[in-house]
Amino acid sequence: MPDIPPPGIPSPGIPPPGFPSPDISKPNTVVRVLRLLASLKLTLVLIIMLLIGILIIYYTRTRFVWALAIPFIGFAINLTATVLTNPVFRRQMALLVFHLALISIALLIAIDWLTYLKGQIELVEGETFSGQTLSEESGPLHRRKLNNLQLTNESFTINYIIADGQLRRADTSNQVEWVAPDGRSGRSIIGNQEPLLLGGYRFYTTNNKGFAPIFRWRLNGADTDKIGAVHLPSFPIQLLQQKNEWTPPGSTMPVWILLQIEEEIFFPDKPSNLRVPDKHTVVVRLNAPQGDNDQRWELKPGDSVRLPDGVLTYQELRKWMGYEVSYNFTLPWLLTASVLAVLSMGWHFWRKFAARPWNPNSGESKLGES
Amino acid sequence: MELQILWAALIMYVLAGSLSIISFVMQRKPERTILAFLVLGVVLHTTAIALRWERMGHGPYITMFEALSSGIWNLLLVYTLVYWRIPAIRATAAIVTPILFLMMGWMMLFPPSEVGHKPVVYHTIWLYIHIGFAKAFISTVFIAVGISGIILSRRTEYGEIRFAHLPNDSRLDDLSFRFMAVAMIFQTLMLITGAIWAQDAWGRYWDWDPLETWAFITWLLVIFSLHLRHTYKTAPRTGALLVISVFIMAFVVFFGVPFVSTDFHQGVGRS
Ligand code: HEM
Repeated sequence: MPDIPPPGIPSPGIPPPGFPSPDISKPNTVVRVLRLLASLKLTLVLIIMLLIGILIIYYTRTRFVWALAIPFIGFAINLTATVLTNPVFRRQMALLVFHLALISIALLIAIDWLTYLKGQIELVEGETFSGQTLSEESGPLHRRKLNNLQLTNESFTINYIIADGQLRRADTSNQVEWVAPDGRSGRSIIGNQEPLLLGGYRFYTTNNKGFAPIFRWRLNGADTDKIGAVHLPSFPIQLLQQKNEWTPPGSTMPVWILLQIEEEIFFPDKPSNLRVPDKHTVVVRLNAPQGDNDQRWELKPGDSVRLPDGVLTYQELRKWMGYEVSYNFTLPWLLTASVLAVLSMGWHFWRKFAARPWNPNSGESKLGES
Repeated sequence: MELQILWAALIMYVLAGSLSIISFVMQRKPERTILAFLVLGVVLHTTAIALRWERMGHGPYITMFEALSSGIWNLLLVYTLVYWRIPAIRATAAIVTPILFLMMGWMMLFPPSEVGHKPVVYHTIWLYIHIGFAKAFISTVFIAVGISGIILSRRTEYGEIRFAHLPNDSRLDDLSFRFMAVAMIFQTLMLITGAIWAQDAWGRYWDWDPLETWAFITWLLVIFSLHLRHTYKTAPRTGALLVISVFIMAFVVFFGVPFVSTDFHQGVGRS
């Protein structure tokens, strides 16, 4: 391991040719500034700043990135200056590698902030996603490629088990069909912990899922039907809130859609599956304008109702799944840099400790009994 | 049955602990006997935990009783190993024992209840690796705490006399910070494997949830201690105080934060 170069021979990490060498007798201004920036006291101050930054983020729950960015940038400057001026990093290769790995981690996290994407999607069984998320956030430099791929939720099952007398969600298994941005296509089974990787995006199922009545809607005067799915709130967590407001396309009057489930889906004493109830009724309610009584209809699959703006037909009940999509391309690099950091740190301490015995008074290593 | 075995283990620990305190006061060195009690205690304790694991179908990390029991177990497992291999730390038995007694007392305040269910996100090997590193971390700091206790107690005349046969403070300080350095590596691995697990479980590697945040702050405290000691060549007593504050912080984060919020991590609970 050529990690301790003989004196006078440059090793990696020292100033490039033409750069003022740190150990000339009269340091010029650049070197003096560098040495100031390389102060280990500054490192301590930066650690405290990072700590304060974290507490700010944690307690204000904001994404106030500067609270973290400033100490991180500080670390990068501090560390670079130290690498250039402090001979300890030339003598101790392991320590150098460790600190370089730390800089890379800080840089990779910064790149991740700039390029990430995180979004939420909901798809009814049979529905295809082609770029439209419910909500999303992304870094300023994210190049969005979500429109170039397709994901179809074919069907999913979720097992529920009984533990401690309570119903608990177990595994989710979702069959999806996909088309990647490069045109490849295929089928996969994904779940809450097994994402689908598509064009750098990861799609996970979530525990947000529920029922969606499917309607056919014929607007007055139109000559074709439109199909709409009304996603009811997450099930079973919102068991008693299975309703949602919906405005059929082209209509001016919102209706309330309520699902009445008329059979047990989960049993208190045996494992079950999340399934669409055969016995159910969909209630459609129209908020009558001014004073009149509300109008209310109970529909079974196939039933139609005449609304002021058109004809609404209830077709069937399906399940919808909520997905989380994310993009963090630095992840494997972050992991690599972290592992490198730990290995080099281990190496540094190993060498350091091997130089002196663990037992300060060696010789006394036998178990004493008196 | 497993509870009886657990009590037997605790009795072994109490015997080892009492013996080390008595021998400290009497200035004797029944080290072999203490080691024997420790080993026996750890073996019994391991058996008790294994039996409960087998019966409950989940490891000892759901209820407070389980967390404390397995916490005591890993502290003692590592302590016993080091006690055996590194004679220089044997005198710390009299210092660390009272801490363990406090933990055992605390554990007995909690019923060994039968409830406890493992959420789905716990079905991954990373969980065990992550918890393993966390345990290795706190157990290693624990040994540094023992050494720091000696350094601090030497400020009193009594401690000065009782620990006179040990190496001087700066050698002890060096030894204690070796354990801190090793602890720091375990802790870093704990954070990395935790992030891998979080990525698997919730699709994000870091989200500043309470446990993540406080674990990271503890890590910063460790880094700060190592750097401070290096930069200012701090006195052994300062080093000792740093070590103890790291342990207190880590202890509160381990046994406080996860059980104040109802689940280990924020993401776990939703159904
Ligand atoms: C959060 C970030 C940092 C971590 C985790 C970290 C960690 C460490 C560790 C564990 C050591 C070994 C201490 C020992 O051998 O006892 C060390 C030493 C050192 N670190 Fe850092 N450090 C960080 C930031 C920095 C920065 C920003 C600088 C830039 C000045 C720096 C400069 C040094 C130097 C010069 C040494 C001492 C080498 C020696 O003389 O043995 N560290 N650091």
